[in-house]
Amino acid sequence: MIQTIQLAGELDLSRKREIRDAFAFSNGARAVLLDLSEVVYADSTALTELLRFCAMAQGAKIPVAIVIVAPQFLRLVQYAGLATAFKVFHDRGEALQYLSECPGT
Amino acid sequence: MVPNRVNAPLIGSLAFLALVIGVLVAGGLSVQSTVTNSFREAEAIGTARLLVEDVLQRQIDEETGIRGYAVARRVSLLQPYYEARAALPATLRRAMRALESLNLPTAQAAFEDAGRTNRRWLRAVAFPLFTSKSSRPALQFRGKKFVDHFRADIASIETLLAGREARSRVGAQRAIAWVDLFAIGAISAFLAAAMLFAYQQYRLGVRLEEERTKAEEQRRRSAENRAAYLAEKRIADTLQGALVQNVLPEPAMLRLGATYLPATEEAKIGGDWYDALELPGDRVLLAIGDVTGHGIEAAVTMNRTRQLLISCALIDPSPGPVLERVNNELFRNASPMVTAIAALVDARDCEFAYAAAGHPPAVLLEPGKRARFLDVGSLPLGVLRDAAYRTHRVRSIPGALLVLYTDGAIEHSRDVVAGEELLLAAIESAAHASPSDVAAAICDRIFADRKAADDVAILTLRFADGASGSVGIFEHGSQTMVAAGEKAGLA
Repeated sequence: MIQTIQLAGELDLSRKREIRDAFAFSNGARAVLLDLSEVVYADSTALTELLRFCAMAQGAKIPVAIVIVAPQFLRLVQYAGLATAFKVFHDRGEALQYLSECPGT
Repeated sequence: MVPNRVNAPLIGSLAFLALVIGVLVAGGLSVQSTVTNSFREAEAIGTARLLVEDVLQRQIDEETGIRGYAVARRVSLLQPYYEARAALPATLRRAMRALESLNLPTAQAAFEDAGRTNRRWLRAVAFPLFTSKSSRPALQFRGKKFVDHFRADIASIETLLAGREARSRVGAQRAIAWVDLFAIGAISAFLAAAMLFAYQQYRLGVRLEEERTKAEEQRRRSAENRAAYLAEKRIADTLQGALVQNVLPEPAMLRLGATYLPATEEAKIGGDWYDALELPGDRVLLAIGDVTGHGIEAAVTMNRTRQLLISCALIDPSPGPVLERVNNELFRNASPMVTAIAALVDARDCEFAYAAAGHPPAVLLEPGKRARFLDVGSLPLGVLRDAAYRTHRVRSIPGALLVLYTDGAIEHSRDVVAGEELLLAAIESAAHASPSDVAAAICDRIFADRKAADDVAILTLRFADGASGSVGIFEHGSQTMVAAGEKAGLA
Protein backbone atom coordinates (compact mmCIF):
# COMPACT_ATOMS: atom_id res chain seq x y z
CA MET A 1 0.00 0.00 0.00
CA ILE A 2 1.30 3.43 -0.95
CA GLN A 3 0.54 6.11 1.64
CA THR A 4 0.05 9.60 0.24
CA ILE A 5 0.89 12.69 2.27
CA GLN A 6 -0.16 15.96 0.72
CA LEU A 7 0.62 19.49 1.86
CA ALA A 8 0.17 22.81 0.08
CA GLY A 9 0.98 26.52 0.34
CA GLU A 10 3.56 28.01 2.68
CA LEU A 11 4.82 25.68 5.38
CA ASP A 12 5.95 27.68 8.40
CA LEU A 13 6.02 27.73 12.17
CA SER A 14 2.32 28.65 12.35
CA ARG A 15 1.45 25.27 10.78
CA LYS A 16 3.94 23.24 12.83
CA ARG A 17 1.26 21.06 14.40
CA GLU A 18 -0.43 20.32 11.07
CA ILE A 19 2.92 19.51 9.44
CA ARG A 20 4.01 17.25 12.29
CA ASP A 21 0.66 15.43 12.19
CA ALA A 22 0.88 15.02 8.42
CA PHE A 23 4.38 13.53 8.56
CA ALA A 24 3.39 10.25 10.17
CA PHE A 25 3.30 6.74 8.81
CA SER A 26 -0.06 5.08 8.52
CA ASN A 27 -0.40 1.43 9.47
CA GLY A 28 0.66 -0.96 6.76
CA ALA A 29 2.29 1.70 4.60
CA ARG A 30 4.89 0.06 2.35
CA ALA A 31 5.86 3.26 0.55
CA VAL A 32 5.13 6.94 0.93
CA LEU A 33 4.31 9.50 -1.73
CA LEU A 34 5.04 12.98 -0.39
CA ASP A 35 3.03 15.22 -2.68
CA LEU A 36 4.42 18.71 -2.10
CA SER A 37 3.65 19.86 -5.65
CA GLU A 38 1.66 22.84 -4.33
CA VAL A 39 4.15 23.90 -1.68
CA VAL A 40 5.88 27.22 -2.49
CA TYR A 41 7.82 27.84 0.71
CA ALA A 42 9.04 26.02 3.79
CA ASP A 43 10.82 27.60 6.72
CA SER A 44 13.58 25.79 8.61
CA THR A 45 11.05 24.31 11.06
CA ALA A 46 9.07 22.70 8.24
CA LEU A 47 12.24 21.60 6.45
CA THR A 48 13.41 19.96 9.67
CA GLU A 49 10.15 18.01 9.92
CA LEU A 50 10.43 16.98 6.27
CA LEU A 51 14.06 15.87 6.62
CA ARG A 52 13.49 14.01 9.86
CA PHE A 53 10.52 12.18 8.32
CA CYS A 54 12.57 11.17 5.28
CA ALA A 55 15.47 10.08 7.48
CA MET A 56 13.11 8.01 9.62
CA ALA A 57 11.63 6.38 6.50
CA GLN A 58 15.12 5.56 5.27
CA GLY A 59 15.95 4.02 8.64
CA ALA A 60 12.77 1.91 8.41
CA LYS A 61 13.56 0.99 4.80
CA ILE A 62 10.31 2.51 3.54
CA PRO A 63 10.78 4.09 0.11
CA VAL A 64 9.70 7.74 -0.10
CA ALA A 65 9.11 9.71 -3.30
CA ILE A 66 8.85 13.48 -2.98
CA VAL A 67 7.05 15.58 -5.60
CA ILE A 68 8.16 19.21 -5.80
CA VAL A 69 7.14 21.65 -8.54
CA ALA A 70 7.44 25.29 -7.38
CA PRO A 71 10.91 26.71 -8.28
CA GLN A 72 11.24 28.63 -4.99
CA PHE A 73 10.58 25.54 -2.94
CA LEU A 74 12.78 23.45 -5.21
CA ARG A 75 15.64 25.86 -4.51
CA LEU A 76 15.14 25.51 -0.74
CA VAL A 77 15.22 21.71 -0.89
CA GLN A 78 18.31 21.91 -3.11
CA TYR A 79 20.08 23.85 -0.32
CA ALA A 80 18.89 21.23 2.13
CA GLY A 81 20.46 18.51 0.00
CA LEU A 82 17.16 16.71 -0.14
CA ALA A 83 17.79 15.30 -3.61
CA THR A 84 21.21 14.01 -2.58
CA ALA A 85 19.73 11.76 0.09
CA PHE A 86 16.15 11.15 -1.03
CA LYS A 87 14.14 10.70 -4.23
CA VAL A 88 12.77 13.99 -5.55
CA PHE A 89 10.52 14.17 -8.63
CA HIS A 90 8.92 17.03 -10.50
CA ASP A 91 5.95 14.97 -11.55
CA ARG A 92 3.52 12.86 -9.56
CA GLY A 93 3.34 10.16 -12.24
CA GLU A 94 7.10 9.64 -12.21
CA ALA A 95 7.07 9.44 -8.43
CA LEU A 96 4.34 6.77 -8.45
CA GLN A 97 6.20 4.91 -11.19
CA TYR A 98 9.31 4.87 -9.01
CA LEU A 99 7.41 3.68 -5.93
CA SER A 100 5.64 0.91 -7.84
CA GLU A 101 9.01 -0.40 -9.00
CA CYS A 102 10.41 -0.51 -5.50
CA PRO A 103 10.56 -4.07 -4.13
CA GLY A 104 7.88 -4.82 -1.56
CA THR A 105 5.20 -2.42 -2.76
CA MET B 1 -15.25 50.50 35.79
CA VAL B 2 -18.08 48.01 35.90
CA PRO B 3 -18.36 46.20 32.57
CA ASN B 4 -21.84 46.14 31.05
CA ARG B 5 -22.23 42.39 30.97
CA VAL B 6 -21.69 42.24 34.73
CA ASN B 7 -24.50 44.80 35.15
CA ALA B 8 -27.18 42.80 33.34
CA PRO B 9 -28.38 40.64 36.29
CA LEU B 10 -28.47 43.72 38.48
CA ILE B 11 -30.70 45.50 35.97
CA GLY B 12 -32.89 42.38 35.94
CA SER B 13 -33.35 42.40 39.67
CA LEU B 14 -34.05 46.14 39.65
CA ALA B 15 -36.71 45.59 36.99
CA PHE B 16 -38.24 42.85 39.13
CA LEU B 17 -38.26 45.22 42.10
CA ALA B 18 -40.00 47.90 40.01
CA LEU B 19 -42.61 45.35 38.88
CA VAL B 20 -43.26 44.32 42.48
CA ILE B 21 -43.68 47.95 43.53
CA GLY B 22 -46.09 48.54 40.62
CA VAL B 23 -48.21 45.53 41.56
CA LEU B 24 -48.16 46.67 45.20
CA VAL B 25 -49.37 50.17 44.34
CA ALA B 26 -52.12 48.97 41.95
CA GLY B 27 -53.31 46.29 44.37
CA GLY B 28 -53.23 48.70 47.29
CA LEU B 29 -55.34 51.25 45.41
CA SER B 30 -57.86 48.60 44.38
CA VAL B 31 -58.22 47.20 47.94
CA GLN B 32 -58.47 50.70 49.31
CA SER B 33 -61.34 51.61 46.97
CA THR B 34 -63.17 48.35 47.81
CA VAL B 35 -62.91 49.07 51.53
CA THR B 36 -63.93 52.73 51.10
CA ASN B 37 -66.97 51.70 49.02
CA SER B 38 -68.13 49.17 51.57
CA PHE B 39 -67.78 51.71 54.39
CA ARG B 40 -69.72 54.25 52.36
CA GLU B 41 -72.46 51.68 51.69
CA ALA B 42 -72.66 50.69 55.36
CA GLU B 43 -73.13 54.36 56.23
CA ALA B 44 -75.85 54.77 53.59
CA ILE B 45 -77.65 51.66 54.86
CA GLY B 46 -77.49 52.96 58.44
CA THR B 47 -78.96 56.30 57.34
CA ALA B 48 -81.72 54.57 55.36
CA ARG B 49 -82.63 52.36 58.34
CA LEU B 50 -82.82 55.34 60.69
CA LEU B 51 -85.03 57.24 58.26
CA VAL B 52 -87.28 54.25 57.66
CA GLU B 53 -87.59 53.81 61.44
CA ASP B 54 -88.39 57.50 61.73
CA VAL B 55 -91.12 57.15 59.10
CA LEU B 56 -92.56 54.21 61.06
CA GLN B 57 -92.38 56.20 64.30
CA ARG B 58 -94.21 59.15 62.72
CA GLN B 59 -96.87 56.83 61.37
CA ILE B 60 -97.30 55.33 64.86
CA ASP B 61 -97.49 58.85 66.34
CA GLU B 62 -100.19 59.83 63.80
CA GLU B 63 -102.15 56.66 64.44
CA THR B 64 -102.01 56.72 68.25
CA GLY B 65 -102.85 60.49 68.25
CA ILE B 66 -105.96 59.96 66.14
CA ARG B 67 -107.02 56.88 68.06
CA GLY B 68 -106.59 58.59 71.46
CA TYR B 69 -108.54 61.60 70.22
CA ALA B 70 -111.31 59.40 68.86
CA VAL B 71 -111.70 57.70 72.27
CA ALA B 72 -111.11 60.62 74.69
CA ARG B 73 -111.93 63.62 72.51
CA ARG B 74 -109.16 65.64 74.08
CA VAL B 75 -107.40 68.02 71.73
CA SER B 76 -104.11 67.70 73.61
CA LEU B 77 -103.96 64.13 72.49
CA LEU B 78 -103.73 65.33 68.86
CA GLN B 79 -100.36 66.97 69.48
CA PRO B 80 -98.23 63.96 68.30
CA TYR B 81 -100.49 63.56 65.28
CA TYR B 82 -99.90 67.11 64.12
CA GLU B 83 -96.21 66.96 64.66
CA ALA B 84 -95.94 63.65 62.86
CA ARG B 85 -98.07 64.77 59.95
CA ALA B 86 -96.00 67.93 59.52
CA ALA B 87 -92.71 66.04 59.56
CA LEU B 88 -93.70 62.93 57.62
CA PRO B 89 -93.53 64.20 53.97
CA ALA B 90 -89.94 65.48 54.43
CA THR B 91 -88.90 62.32 56.24
CA LEU B 92 -90.47 60.24 53.48
CA ARG B 93 -88.55 62.17 50.80
CA ARG B 94 -85.22 61.80 52.63
CA ALA B 95 -85.82 58.10 53.21
CA MET B 96 -86.71 57.69 49.54
CA ARG B 97 -83.46 59.39 48.46
CA ALA B 98 -81.50 57.16 50.81
CA LEU B 99 -83.10 54.08 49.29
CA GLU B 100 -82.53 55.41 45.74
CA SER B 101 -78.82 55.90 46.51
CA LEU B 102 -78.65 52.28 47.59
CA ASN B 103 -80.28 51.19 44.32
CA LEU B 104 -82.84 48.88 45.93
CA PRO B 105 -85.87 48.92 43.54
CA THR B 106 -87.94 46.44 45.64
CA ALA B 107 -87.45 48.53 48.76
CA GLN B 108 -88.28 51.67 46.81
CA ALA B 109 -91.53 50.09 45.55
CA ALA B 110 -92.44 48.95 49.09
CA PHE B 111 -91.71 52.42 50.38
CA GLU B 112 -93.87 54.05 47.73
CA ASP B 113 -96.60 51.60 48.68
CA ALA B 114 -96.15 52.58 52.36
CA GLY B 115 -96.52 56.25 51.38
CA ARG B 116 -99.70 55.52 49.44
CA THR B 117 -101.07 53.46 52.35
CA ASN B 118 -100.38 56.37 54.71
CA ARG B 119 -102.20 58.78 52.43
CA ARG B 120 -105.14 56.43 52.02
CA TRP B 121 -105.25 55.93 55.79
CA LEU B 122 -105.32 59.71 56.24
CA ARG B 123 -108.15 60.10 53.74
CA ALA B 124 -110.24 57.06 54.63
CA VAL B 125 -109.61 56.79 58.38
CA ALA B 126 -107.86 59.74 60.03
CA PHE B 127 -109.94 62.58 58.63
CA PRO B 128 -113.34 60.81 59.15
CA LEU B 129 -112.33 59.96 62.74
CA PHE B 130 -111.11 63.46 63.27
CA THR B 131 -114.33 65.06 62.10
CA SER B 132 -116.69 62.42 63.56
CA LYS B 133 -118.21 62.86 66.99
CA SER B 134 -118.12 59.21 67.88
CA SER B 135 -115.15 56.79 68.18
CA ARG B 136 -116.51 54.72 65.26
CA PRO B 137 -115.20 51.25 66.03
CA ALA B 138 -115.75 50.02 62.47
CA LEU B 139 -113.64 52.84 61.11
CA GLN B 140 -110.99 52.14 63.68
CA PHE B 141 -110.92 48.52 62.61
CA ARG B 142 -110.45 49.56 59.02
CA GLY B 143 -107.68 51.92 60.17
CA LYS B 144 -105.90 49.03 61.84
CA LYS B 145 -105.82 47.21 58.48
CA PHE B 146 -104.13 50.20 56.81
CA VAL B 147 -101.65 50.45 59.64
CA ASP B 148 -100.88 46.73 59.40
CA HIS B 149 -100.32 47.10 55.66
CA PHE B 150 -98.03 50.06 56.29
CA ARG B 151 -96.06 48.19 58.91
CA ALA B 152 -95.73 45.18 56.61
CA ASP B 153 -94.22 47.46 53.92
CA ILE B 154 -91.79 48.96 56.44
CA ALA B 155 -90.90 45.52 57.76
CA SER B 156 -90.16 44.26 54.25
CA ILE B 157 -87.94 47.30 53.64
CA GLU B 158 -86.10 46.67 56.89
CA THR B 159 -85.56 43.03 55.89
CA LEU B 160 -84.16 44.15 52.53
CA LEU B 161 -81.91 46.68 54.21
CA ALA B 162 -80.71 44.13 56.72
CA GLY B 163 -79.89 41.72 53.87
CA ARG B 164 -78.07 44.44 52.07
CA GLU B 165 -76.20 45.39 55.17
CA ALA B 166 -75.17 41.77 55.75
CA ARG B 167 -73.90 41.49 52.17
CA SER B 168 -72.04 44.74 52.46
CA ARG B 169 -70.45 43.59 55.72
CA VAL B 170 -69.31 40.35 54.09
CA GLY B 171 -67.82 42.39 51.21
CA ALA B 172 -66.01 44.64 53.64
CA GLN B 173 -64.75 41.67 55.62
CA ARG B 174 -63.54 40.06 52.43
CA ALA B 175 -61.81 43.27 51.40
CA ILE B 176 -60.14 43.44 54.79
CA ALA B 177 -59.08 39.83 54.44
CA TRP B 178 -57.64 40.80 51.06
CA VAL B 179 -55.77 43.62 52.70
CA ASP B 180 -54.19 41.13 55.14
CA LEU B 181 -53.33 38.73 52.35
CA PHE B 182 -52.06 41.53 50.19
CA ALA B 183 -49.93 42.94 52.96
CA ILE B 184 -48.35 39.55 53.59
CA GLY B 185 -47.83 38.98 49.86
CA ALA B 186 -46.40 42.45 49.39
CA ILE B 187 -43.99 42.09 52.26
CA SER B 188 -42.86 38.65 50.98
CA ALA B 189 -42.43 39.89 47.41
CA PHE B 190 -40.55 42.92 48.61
CA LEU B 191 -38.29 40.79 50.76
CA ALA B 192 -37.73 38.40 47.84
CA ALA B 193 -36.86 41.29 45.53
CA ALA B 194 -34.59 42.82 48.13
CA MET B 195 -32.85 39.48 48.67
CA LEU B 196 -32.48 38.96 44.94
CA PHE B 197 -31.05 42.44 44.62
CA ALA B 198 -28.67 41.86 47.49
CA TYR B 199 -27.64 38.51 46.00
CA GLN B 200 -26.95 40.09 42.61
CA GLN B 201 -24.99 42.82 44.30
CA TYR B 202 -22.99 40.18 46.11
CA ARG B 203 -22.42 38.19 42.92
CA LEU B 204 -21.33 41.33 41.11
CA GLY B 205 -18.87 42.06 43.90
CA VAL B 206 -17.52 38.53 43.77
CA ARG B 207 -17.14 38.63 40.01
CA LEU B 208 -15.42 42.01 40.04
CA GLU B 209 -13.06 40.67 42.67
CA GLU B 210 -12.41 37.59 40.54
CA GLU B 211 -11.72 39.71 37.48
CA ARG B 212 -9.43 41.96 39.44
CA THR B 213 -7.53 38.94 40.75
CA LYS B 214 -7.35 37.45 37.26
CA ALA B 215 -6.09 40.72 35.76
CA GLU B 216 -3.51 40.96 38.52
CA GLU B 217 -2.48 37.36 37.89
CA GLN B 218 -2.17 38.10 34.19
CA ARG B 219 -0.10 41.19 34.86
CA ARG B 220 2.12 39.23 37.22
CA ARG B 221 2.49 36.37 34.75
CA SER B 222 3.24 38.64 31.79
CA ALA B 223 5.82 40.43 33.94
CA GLU B 224 7.31 37.05 34.79
CA ASN B 225 7.24 35.99 31.15
CA ARG B 226 8.86 39.25 30.21
CA ALA B 227 11.53 38.77 32.86
CA ALA B 228 12.10 35.17 31.74
CA TYR B 229 12.26 36.31 28.14
CA LEU B 230 14.72 39.08 28.98
CA ALA B 231 16.84 36.65 30.96
CA GLU B 232 16.88 34.21 28.04
CA LYS B 233 17.61 37.00 25.60
CA ARG B 234 20.48 38.21 27.79
CA ILE B 235 22.00 34.75 27.92
CA ALA B 236 21.55 34.17 24.20
CA ASP B 237 22.90 37.65 23.46
CA THR B 238 25.96 36.86 25.57
CA LEU B 239 26.53 33.64 23.67
CA GLN B 240 25.94 35.39 20.36
CA GLY B 241 28.11 38.28 21.54
CA ALA B 242 31.11 35.96 21.42
CA LEU B 243 30.59 35.95 17.67
CA VAL B 244 30.44 39.72 17.24
CA GLN B 245 33.67 40.12 19.21
CA ASN B 246 35.27 37.49 17.03
CA VAL B 247 38.45 39.03 15.61
CA LEU B 248 39.13 37.71 12.12
CA PRO B 249 42.66 36.58 11.27
CA GLU B 250 44.68 38.47 8.68
CA PRO B 251 46.46 35.79 6.69
CA ALA B 252 48.87 36.61 3.90
CA MET B 253 47.36 37.14 0.45
CA LEU B 254 43.80 36.96 1.79
CA ARG B 255 41.46 39.61 3.12
CA LEU B 256 38.58 38.62 5.35
CA GLY B 257 35.51 40.63 6.28
CA ALA B 258 32.32 39.87 8.11
CA THR B 259 29.12 41.40 9.39
CA TYR B 260 26.35 40.29 11.66
CA LEU B 261 22.87 41.84 11.61
CA PRO B 262 20.52 40.72 14.37
CA ALA B 263 16.89 40.10 13.54
CA THR B 264 14.57 43.11 13.90
CA GLU B 265 12.10 40.95 15.81
CA GLU B 266 13.31 40.68 19.39
CA ALA B 267 11.92 37.19 19.83
CA LYS B 268 14.25 35.78 17.23
CA ILE B 269 17.58 35.22 18.84
CA GLY B 270 19.21 33.23 16.13
CA GLY B 271 21.92 30.66 16.02
CA ASP B 272 23.92 32.15 13.15
CA TRP B 273 27.70 32.09 13.31
CA TYR B 274 30.89 32.29 11.24
CA ASP B 275 34.48 31.38 11.97
CA ALA B 276 37.86 31.75 10.30
CA LEU B 277 40.81 29.68 11.44
CA GLU B 278 44.36 30.15 10.22
CA LEU B 279 46.14 26.91 9.44
CA PRO B 280 49.72 26.12 8.51
CA GLY B 281 50.75 26.41 4.86
CA ASP B 282 48.91 29.68 4.10
CA ARG B 283 45.63 27.96 4.55
CA VAL B 284 42.47 29.25 6.22
CA LEU B 285 39.40 27.31 7.29
CA LEU B 286 36.20 29.30 6.84
CA ALA B 287 32.95 28.18 8.39
CA ILE B 288 29.49 29.64 8.46
CA GLY B 289 26.34 28.10 9.88
CA ASP B 290 22.89 28.46 11.28
CA VAL B 291 21.16 26.45 13.99
CA THR B 292 17.45 25.79 13.46
CA GLY B 293 15.31 27.48 16.08
CA HIS B 294 15.95 30.36 18.43
CA GLY B 295 16.79 31.08 22.01
CA ILE B 296 19.25 29.55 24.42
CA GLU B 297 19.14 26.07 22.89
CA ALA B 298 20.04 27.48 19.47
CA ALA B 299 22.84 29.59 20.94
CA VAL B 300 24.24 26.66 22.93
CA THR B 301 24.11 24.35 19.90
CA MET B 302 25.79 27.06 17.85
CA ASN B 303 28.73 27.29 20.25
CA ARG B 304 29.00 23.53 20.47
CA THR B 305 29.02 23.20 16.69
CA ARG B 306 31.71 25.90 16.34
CA GLN B 307 33.95 24.09 18.79
CA LEU B 308 33.32 20.72 17.16
CA LEU B 309 34.05 22.13 13.74
CA ILE B 310 37.33 23.71 14.78
CA SER B 311 38.41 20.62 16.75
CA CYS B 312 37.69 18.35 13.77
CA ALA B 313 39.44 20.75 11.38
CA LEU B 314 42.57 20.62 13.52
CA ILE B 315 42.67 16.84 13.03
CA ASP B 316 41.91 16.94 9.29
CA PRO B 317 40.84 20.20 7.68
CA SER B 318 39.31 18.59 4.60
CA PRO B 319 35.77 20.10 4.53
CA GLY B 320 33.79 16.94 3.68
CA PRO B 321 35.26 14.78 6.48
CA VAL B 322 34.98 17.72 8.92
CA LEU B 323 31.22 17.98 8.29
CA GLU B 324 30.82 14.20 8.45
CA ARG B 325 32.39 14.07 11.91
CA VAL B 326 30.41 17.06 13.15
CA ASN B 327 27.22 15.54 11.73
CA ASN B 328 27.66 12.29 13.62
CA GLU B 329 28.47 14.12 16.86
CA LEU B 330 25.34 16.27 16.54
CA PHE B 331 23.19 13.31 15.50
CA ARG B 332 24.38 11.31 18.50
CA ASN B 333 23.38 14.18 20.79
CA ALA B 334 19.96 14.60 19.13
CA SER B 335 20.74 18.29 18.74
CA PRO B 336 18.70 20.73 16.67
CA MET B 337 19.33 20.68 12.94
CA VAL B 338 22.32 22.80 11.82
CA THR B 339 23.11 24.08 8.34
CA ALA B 340 26.73 24.95 7.56
CA ILE B 341 29.41 25.46 4.94
CA ALA B 342 33.05 24.67 5.66
CA ALA B 343 35.68 25.91 3.21
CA LEU B 344 39.42 25.30 3.24
CA VAL B 345 41.18 28.08 1.35
CA ASP B 346 44.65 27.81 -0.08
CA ALA B 347 45.92 31.37 -0.48
CA ARG B 348 48.96 30.52 -2.53
CA ASP B 349 47.13 28.81 -5.39
CA CYS B 350 43.89 30.78 -5.25
CA GLU B 351 42.16 27.48 -4.64
CA PHE B 352 39.55 26.42 -2.18
CA ALA B 353 37.61 23.29 -1.27
CA TYR B 354 34.25 23.39 0.41
CA ALA B 355 31.48 21.16 1.65
CA ALA B 356 27.92 22.31 2.34
CA ALA B 357 25.37 20.85 4.74
CA GLY B 358 21.85 22.06 3.93
CA HIS B 359 23.15 25.62 3.70
CA PRO B 360 22.35 28.25 1.03
CA PRO B 361 25.12 28.16 -1.59
CA ALA B 362 28.20 30.36 -1.42
CA VAL B 363 28.64 33.07 -4.07
CA LEU B 364 31.81 33.57 -6.08
CA LEU B 365 32.50 36.78 -7.93
CA GLU B 366 35.56 36.64 -10.16
CA PRO B 367 36.98 39.65 -11.99
CA GLY B 368 35.32 40.12 -15.35
CA LYS B 369 32.53 37.66 -14.62
CA ARG B 370 29.06 37.71 -13.12
CA ALA B 371 28.57 36.67 -9.55
CA ARG B 372 27.51 33.02 -9.36
CA PHE B 373 26.30 30.50 -6.87
CA LEU B 374 28.53 27.54 -6.20
CA ASP B 375 27.06 24.06 -6.21
CA VAL B 376 24.80 23.29 -3.29
CA GLY B 377 25.56 20.45 -0.99
CA SER B 378 24.08 17.77 1.18
CA LEU B 379 21.72 17.36 4.11
CA PRO B 380 21.89 19.62 7.15
CA LEU B 381 23.95 18.38 10.08
CA GLY B 382 22.27 16.22 12.70
CA VAL B 383 19.56 14.75 10.44
CA LEU B 384 20.95 11.47 9.18
CA ARG B 385 23.60 9.27 10.76
CA ASP B 386 26.66 8.74 8.57
CA ALA B 387 25.43 11.18 5.94
CA ALA B 388 28.03 11.81 3.25
CA TYR B 389 29.34 15.35 2.62
CA ARG B 390 31.05 15.82 -0.69
CA THR B 391 34.06 18.06 -0.95
CA HIS B 392 33.86 20.44 -3.96
CA ARG B 393 37.08 21.93 -5.30
CA VAL B 394 37.21 25.36 -6.98
CA ARG B 395 40.20 26.93 -8.67
CA SER B 396 39.76 30.68 -8.72
CA ILE B 397 41.80 33.69 -9.73
CA PRO B 398 43.39 36.60 -7.88
CA GLY B 399 40.94 39.34 -6.98
CA ALA B 400 38.04 36.91 -6.71
CA LEU B 401 35.50 37.46 -3.93
CA LEU B 402 33.97 34.52 -2.06
CA VAL B 403 30.81 35.30 -0.09
CA LEU B 404 29.38 33.02 2.58
CA TYR B 405 26.11 34.02 4.26
CA THR B 406 23.20 32.68 6.30
CA ASP B 407 19.64 32.27 5.02
CA GLY B 408 18.48 35.60 6.47
CA ALA B 409 20.29 37.25 3.54
CA ILE B 410 18.00 35.64 0.95
CA GLU B 411 14.86 34.68 2.89
CA HIS B 412 13.67 38.16 3.84
CA SER B 413 10.67 37.43 1.63
CA ARG B 414 9.27 33.97 1.02
CA ASP B 415 10.35 34.03 -2.59
CA VAL B 416 13.84 32.63 -2.26
CA VAL B 417 14.52 32.90 -6.03
CA ALA B 418 13.94 36.66 -5.84
CA GLY B 419 16.09 36.75 -2.68
CA GLU B 420 18.94 35.06 -4.56
CA GLU B 421 18.77 37.55 -7.41
CA LEU B 422 18.84 40.43 -4.98
CA LEU B 423 21.86 38.95 -3.20
CA LEU B 424 23.83 38.53 -6.45
CA ALA B 425 23.04 42.11 -7.45
CA ALA B 426 24.02 43.38 -3.99
CA ILE B 427 27.33 41.49 -4.12
CA GLU B 428 28.15 42.85 -7.57
CA SER B 429 27.34 46.40 -6.58
CA ALA B 430 29.17 46.18 -3.22
CA ALA B 431 32.27 44.44 -4.57
CA HIS B 432 34.28 47.63 -4.95
CA ALA B 433 34.09 48.38 -1.22
CA SER B 434 37.21 47.81 0.85
CA PRO B 435 37.71 44.15 1.89
CA SER B 436 36.82 44.79 5.52
CA ASP B 437 33.65 46.68 4.56
CA VAL B 438 32.35 44.55 1.72
CA ALA B 439 30.23 42.31 3.96
CA ALA B 440 28.53 45.28 5.59
CA ALA B 441 28.07 46.91 2.18
CA ILE B 442 26.27 43.82 0.85
CA CYS B 443 24.07 43.79 3.93
CA ASP B 444 23.30 47.51 3.55
CA ARG B 445 22.23 47.05 -0.05
CA ILE B 446 19.91 44.13 0.72
CA PHE B 447 18.31 45.75 3.75
CA ALA B 448 18.22 49.34 2.50
CA ASP B 449 14.44 49.20 2.20
CA ARG B 450 13.41 45.99 3.96
CA LYS B 451 13.65 44.57 7.44
CA ALA B 452 15.75 41.61 8.47
CA ALA B 453 13.20 39.06 9.66
CA ASP B 454 15.93 36.70 10.79
CA ASP B 455 19.56 37.08 11.82
CA VAL B 456 21.97 37.67 8.96
CA ALA B 457 25.65 36.75 9.00
CA ILE B 458 27.93 37.40 6.02
CA LEU B 459 31.56 36.32 5.74
CA THR B 460 33.67 37.44 2.77
CA LEU B 461 37.08 36.46 1.51
CA ARG B 462 39.05 38.15 -1.22
CA PHE B 463 42.08 36.63 -2.90
CA ALA B 464 44.89 39.11 -3.21
CA ASP B 465 45.57 40.38 -6.68
CA GLY B 466 48.58 38.29 -7.64
CA ALA B 467 49.99 40.78 -10.15
CA SER B 468 50.40 43.65 -7.71
CA GLY B 469 50.75 41.51 -4.64
CA SER B 470 48.08 43.66 -2.99
CA VAL B 471 44.44 43.03 -2.47
CA GLY B 472 42.69 44.23 -5.56
CA ILE B 473 39.36 45.90 -5.39
CA PHE B 474 38.96 44.97 -9.01
CA GLU B 475 37.20 48.05 -10.22
CA HIS B 476 36.92 46.65 -13.67
CA GLY B 477 34.95 43.54 -12.75
CA SER B 478 32.34 44.95 -10.45
CA GLN B 479 31.86 48.38 -11.97
CA THR B 480 31.36 47.26 -15.54
CA MET B 481 28.95 44.59 -14.47
CA VAL B 482 26.75 47.08 -12.65
CA ALA B 483 26.94 49.49 -15.55
CA ALA B 484 25.82 46.74 -17.90
CA GLY B 485 22.67 46.51 -15.81
CA GLU B 486 22.16 42.87 -16.62
CA LYS B 487 20.17 40.71 -14.28
CA ALA B 488 22.19 38.34 -12.22
CA GLY B 489 21.60 34.75 -13.17
CA LEU B 490 21.59 31.65 -11.03
CA ALA B 491 24.60 29.46 -10.83
